[in-house]
Formats: sequence, structure tokens, C-alpha cells
Amino acid sequence: MNDLSDAAQRPGAEAFSHLGRSLEEIRSELGVDPVSVQSIRDPAVYELEREKIFKRTWLKVATDQELPEKGDYKVKELPVADASVLIVRGKDGKVRAFHNVCTHRGNKVVPTSGFETFGKSRANVLACRFHGWVFSTDGPLRSVPMESGFGKLDKACLGLREIACDSWEGFVFINFADPPEQSLAEYLGDFGKLFSGYPYNEATTAFRYSTVLECNWKVALYAFSEGYHVPTIHAGSLPGFRGIEHSDFKLIGPHASSTIYGLGMESAESTGQFAGVLHANPDQGPRPDLLPPGINPKRRPEFQFELPNIFPNFLIHLAAGCGYPGIAFFTHQFWPLDHGRTLWEGINYFRPARNAAERVAQFHINALHRNAWLEDTGTMEDTFTGIRSGAIDNMLLMDQEFMIRHADRSQHAYLAR
Amino acid sequence: MTDTMQMPRGFEDLAGLAAEWAGPSENARSEVRWNASAADFKAFYDAMMPRLPDVLAELGRTTLEEMDIARTNLFSLAAAFAEAAPHHELYGGSSEVPFSFSARRFVPGHGDACSWATDFR
Repeated sequence: MNDLSDAAQRPGAEAFSHLGRSLEEIRSELGVDPVSVQSIRDPAVYELEREKIFKRTWLKVATDQELPEKGDYKVKELPVADASVLIVRGKDGKVRAFHNVCTHRGNKVVPTSGFETFGKSRANVLACRFHGWVFSTDGPLRSVPMESGFGKLDKACLGLREIACDSWEGFVFINFADPPEQSLAEYLGDFGKLFSGYPYNEATTAFRYSTVLECNWKVALYAFSEGYHVPTIHAGSLPGFRGIEHSDFKLIGPHASSTIYGLGMESAESTGQFAGVLHANPDQGPRPDLLPPGINPKRRPEFQFELPNIFPNFLIHLAAGCGYPGIAFFTHQFWPLDHGRTLWEGINYFRPARNAAERVAQFHINALHRNAWLEDTGTMEDTFTGIRSGAIDNMLLMDQEFMIRHADRSQHAYLAR
Repeated sequence: MTDTMQMPRGFEDLAGLAAEWAGPSENARSEVRWNASAADFKAFYDAMMPRLPDVLAELGRTTLEEMDIARTNLFSLAAAFAEAAPHHELYGGSSEVPFSFSARRFVPGHGDACSWATDFR
């Protein structure tokens, strides 16, 4: 079921046929040999990843809907790059990214708590609490208390240090390279085209979870990168699941994607009622018509969601309400904190509830999905312990785990640069 | 939570369940759920499930902005049931998801947000 070049496709799907791979093509291109776990186990590899991957690639750090108004900001702590990053919508409406560092002596301009801090600058300025240096939300240094006391101070050169920042479909990315080797559009390439056009910005009800996992970031990434685990690890939360088909494999430069089709599910009685509430609203029900044309190109009714891997650490699972009732899409991101610690972030996005019953139903579906994530994350620390023990030197990967094999290749390609 | 929760007309019999289970946020409801027994989940399920169609119909007649105190209490009870039902239906009455990561280590970014907030995120 990996043929994307069939005549019965949706209009526009043919533009993506070159991304599709049959099982034979996947095996031919990526091989079938075991993959070494050394890059997971070796702290020295992690140090290389920091320099050659995380400081050179485009990283999603925010969404437009997190910064809806001028002056809205988010600070994201990124230990992988030794950076505190301020993402702010300026008075001109543009979203920019800066090092959250006062150019006076290096203090954080915006004090932070936790890995993400949100706030609003009502006058479109941000003042460092240390000595009161004031910066515009578009970067320039506006004022310095007791400026004459410095003798010589070129304020024009002392604006916030900007980081390359661009948006795609409402997702805000940064790149620490100065300048980046590619624009964001070039970096996303055909992935950006394959996933473009869905109204992501209309799904504004977000359920956000995070946790710190005692494992290497790739262990967490890989656990969410395949469908092979579903019948076993999710036997508790999806007991009525009659199986899945993981197919429509696509290779897209350093990125990859695939599709999860469901073969039917007997839901619990309460889930049936909550799903009925959501499905009574056309906006909350399945909207396969909103899917971009290259996703589920044959309009198969069993479509659940598209499962991509956006190099290096971001997943957008695009469902359009076809999988878990009401979920428009959900995202995962895996931020290394050090070699053996990872911040995982998972977010379920729904369209706004039309009434109180729909919001309650969203809480039910969100709980089911959150609980499935608990089952997923339950494997990660054990897996990392096992890999660190030295008991195995390789991962054995089947067809449905091709995105792990592909991600490993993409990582090695970047590390070899 | 209070033991004298006002409920919409026709749902007064659920006031006791609301006092026991309802909470304004996911974090508040999780604390209740994590401390519940299999018997607690069964009692909640047996009492609430037959009333769920009526509860959802009542809540379907009001927007989040328009809810009065009584409907807000009913909403919080329904949200608690929405999150608790899988523990009876799927998890054998366990307050934890079997064979999983600890739910207490999952941090909901929206955990203290008012569950009926129109800008919930």
C-alpha cells in the first residue's frame, strides 16, 4: 500500500509521487541491516550533535497562536545550545527571535521559570531587571540608565542579539547558524509542501504536556516514530483496536513521513458518547477533505493520521479529526538537556468547542491520548538503561521502523559535515 | 469543591458526586483521581454513566461563556467523569494507567487553567 503514483489519487497528489517509496524501495535505499546504538550510548556523539545538528538546523520553538498579539513573547530554554531564546511579536507584527541576553553584562532580559516562560510587553519594550537597560521588542537598545557614566557607548550596536527566525504554517522555527546554510523553506523542502494548506491555526484549543525523561533524546524520538509498537504497548488504552496499517512511506531529504490507517476499533461506551458529541459538529468531526492532497492521496476511509519525522526533533501528526475524535493534529518534540536527559513535549490541538459538551468531550479524548502517551513514555528510560548496559550493540528494525533507520542516516550525514 | 454544590434543575441528585469528583482544572481533578480506588471508580461510573446522555445534552445547550454556577458545576463533574471513565472501562479500576510512565511526572502546561476558559491552551 505504498504506491503514491496511482491514477485514483486526489487532484494535486501527483506532485508528491516522487516522495513515495514501496517496501522494496525502502529496503533497497535504507537497507535491512541492524543499526548501531552507539550514537545513543556515546556521550561524545551527543556533543557533536549539539554543534553539528542543533546549532545548524531549523528548530521549531513556538507557534503563531502562542504569540497572537503585538508584544506577546515566549522564552524557551534550550540547554542543547546553551541558550535562552526570546521569541517575540514586535510592534510591526513580525515574530523575531533573540538571545535572551542583556548586551550590558549578559543577564537574562526576561527572567524565566521552567523551560518555557510566556509574557506580554505592553509598551513593546523589555527591560533588564539587573540595571534597567531597555530594548524594543524588535531588538534595538532603546535606553540605558546613567548612560553618560559609560564614557563611550554605541547603543546602535548593542541591540538584542538576533537569531534567524522564520515561520511555516504558523510554526515558528529558529536557526542558531549565522547565517543559516538554507532558508527555512529550503530546509523543509518537499515536507513543507506536503504538509502545507491544512488550517493549523484554527485548532486553538491546546492540551500541553511535558516531562523530563532520563534517556537520550533519540530514544524518545524513536519511540514515537513507528507504528509497530501499537498493538502491544497500547493494549491497555486501545483494547478494542483491531490493528493498524503503517504505510505510504515517504523519504523527504532529512525528513520522512508515513501514514497510519486504522483497521477498526471498538470504543468503550463512554468514548462512544463523547465521540458522538464531537462528530455531531462538522468542524470537530473527521475532515479528510482538509488534508493536503499528498496525504492519504487515495481518500481511504481508514485514514487515522500522518506520522512524519521532521529533522531533527519535531513530529506533527496530522489527523484532521480522522483518528482520535476531534483531534486536528498533535505534535511531539524532543529536547536534549544533556546526553542522558530529554525534555519531551506533547500537545493535542482541537478546534474550539462550540458548547460546553464539546469541551467536556475534548477532555475525554485528550485523556485517552494522554494515557496512550504515558504508555509510550513508559518504555523510554528502560530502553536507555538497556542500551547503556552494553547488552546490545544494535537495533533490529522492521519495515514500520523505517523512520528510525532514516533518522539515524540523517544524523550521521549532518555529523559528517 | 464544596459539599453543597448547586446543580441545574433535574441534576440535583448529582450534587454529591460533584462534591467528591468535580474540580475546576485538570490538576485538581487529577489529584482526586490519583487517590481513588477501584470501588470509587465503579461507584462513579455506575452513577454517572446512565445520566451521561442527559448531562451532555444539557451542556450542549450552553456555551462556555454563558454557563451559570450550576452549569459550571455540572461541567466540572462531567469533565471529571470524562477523565475517570477509562479507569473503570479500560484499566481495571487502577488509578494509574497500567504498564505506563507515572502520570505524576507528566506536567500539563494547562494544568491549572480553568477548564471552561474560552482561551484554554
